[in-house]
Amino acid sequence: MLEVTIIYGFINSIILALIALGFSLTFGISGVSNFAYGAMYIMAGYAVWIMINLIGLPFPVAAILAVIFTALFGLALYRLVLLRVRGMVISEVIATFGVGLAILELFRYLGFTGFEYTLPVFTDGSLMIGDTYIDHQRLWIVGIGISLALGLYLFTRYTKTGLAFRGIAQDEQTALSLGINSDRVAGLSVAFGSGLAAIAAILILPRGTISVNEGYDVLINAMAVCIIGGLGSTVGVIVASFMIGYAQMITDAFSGPHWKMIVSLVAILIILLVKPSGLFGKQKELEERI
Amino acid sequence: MLQISNLMVFYENALALNDFSMKVEKGQIVAVIGSNSAGKTTLMNTVSGLIIDTKIKEQRKGGERITLYGKIVFDGKDITELHPSERVKEGLVLCRERHPIFPESDLVENLRIAGYLRKRSEVSSTIEYVFDLFPTLLRLKTRKAGFLSGGEQQMLTIGMALMVKPKLLLLDEPLLGLSPIMQKTLVDAILKIRKEAGLTIVVTEQFARPILPVIDHGYVVENGMLSLDGPGLELMENPEVKAAYFGV
Ligand SMILES: Nc1ncnc2c1ncn2[C@@H]1O[C@H](COP(=O)(O)OP(=O)(O)OP(=O)(O)O)[C@@H](O)[C@H]1O
Ligand SMILES: [Mg+2]
Repeated sequence: MLEVTIIYGFINSIILALIALGFSLTFGISGVSNFAYGAMYIMAGYAVWIMINLIGLPFPVAAILAVIFTALFGLALYRLVLLRVRGMVISEVIATFGVGLAILELFRYLGFTGFEYTLPVFTDGSLMIGDTYIDHQRLWIVGIGISLALGLYLFTRYTKTGLAFRGIAQDEQTALSLGINSDRVAGLSVAFGSGLAAIAAILILPRGTISVNEGYDVLINAMAVCIIGGLGSTVGVIVASFMIGYAQMITDAFSGPHWKMIVSLVAILIILLVKPSGLFGKQKELEERI
Repeated sequence: MLQISNLMVFYENALALNDFSMKVEKGQIVAVIGSNSAGKTTLMNTVSGLIIDTKIKEQRKGGERITLYGKIVFDGKDITELHPSERVKEGLVLCRERHPIFPESDLVENLRIAGYLRKRSEVSSTIEYVFDLFPTLLRLKTRKAGFLSGGEQQMLTIGMALMVKPKLLLLDEPLLGLSPIMQKTLVDAILKIRKEAGLTIVVTEQFARPILPVIDHGYVVENGMLSLDGPGLELMENPEVKAAYFGV
């Protein structure tokens, strides 16, 4: 029992980190809180499903195309909507949340609900660690999740675009005066965040069916992790993911899966009361943001 | 190399620069002297184009606050409407006032971010050049830039601008708040980069004393207007300049 909680708590934490990574990245760089994030996650899931089942593409091709497509969608969202309201926090939140709402409810309206909407696992099978069964997909999630976090760390420190990300996250005008086109880089950061949402979806969704409602849960979880960790802080994302991840597992073990979502919501409330800028947050204006 | 003609800048109805013209030849060090709110930063932001970015951002939000008139020609090209990031590519680089750096990144990372437009190999050789120019920075390599002193940050900002390999370097009050020794270090560095990198430099200051001896030409601005200009040594002898910009 304890072993199961430890192992599944770990996996659950990585899943949360994976979900929050893109949301946090975009915010940390361009200051844009992308509330269409959950919708993009679900959209990527349906996109893969459509490409496999209606167009007949092989899964790997569909997965890659879905990531590219979602990233481009993020870029378009930035170019067409966010660019004009950037810096006006309330407008950003309303605009992105509105877009997210429209996407999710459109899928519901078009009848994308039911048990047939599932994505394939990467590889079938399972593994024993001690007395605990773990299916391959969860191992993929852990492996790719950790590699992505590491890759992202290296990317922002050793590549031109990554360094430009760090530059405009800290001081946009200074970056601009060094020839870094801040509008373009901010657009890229939204595209990157959206692409990460798609990767998370393709990894995580095979565990169940794709449903519109999960889009809202994903947004809530991403927000919970980011609010607790401190918006824009990568260390914060990791620490908060493990805190919520294990809290959810323990709640699950003692009172059933129904209470899992409550953990995120209660955690948001507690942290906003105790330390509104989050555990590792530097963003003082968080109170205004959410 | 740089020709500014009849520049006018309005913030709402306030005139920050009034019919301002100046000229900089290749290889010169030119100073713009003026007291607080004379319009020095406005001039620098207009030449570097940052003001255009501010204007665009304000327009997106529905405000029409900044109005520009006049013409800026750099290297024979009219850049009046050019986006600031494009001007940097042309070789026109500004070090903004109060030494802005990336506080969360360490010193070397600041330089590497600044090398955005350059090739990887050029980045590392220019970093070495910067450490050559400011040996003090070498032992602070891994220090977070936010924890550097004002003088160290100022050296770093100049180093960051050099990473871009500019043709014309604009320095907005680089000596502000520094000790006489640090001022001398920076003035020497300015002379050195002109000589070694063949740079042209425009520098603004409130106090004329440390900078006038090394400049080729100086412009004095009052309330956004050009009040007089001339070679550095000539300005040094000018009693009005002495009274207003030499401190006590
Ligand atoms: N963004 C702005 N909006 C409105 N007014 C501005 C803005 N920037 C500058 N001003 C005004 O324009 C005038 C010139 O300011 P500027 O910053 O160019 O002066 P400065 O010579 O750089 O002064 P200092 O030595 O204090 O830096 C000032 O009266 C200032 O209040
Ligand atoms: Mg100024």
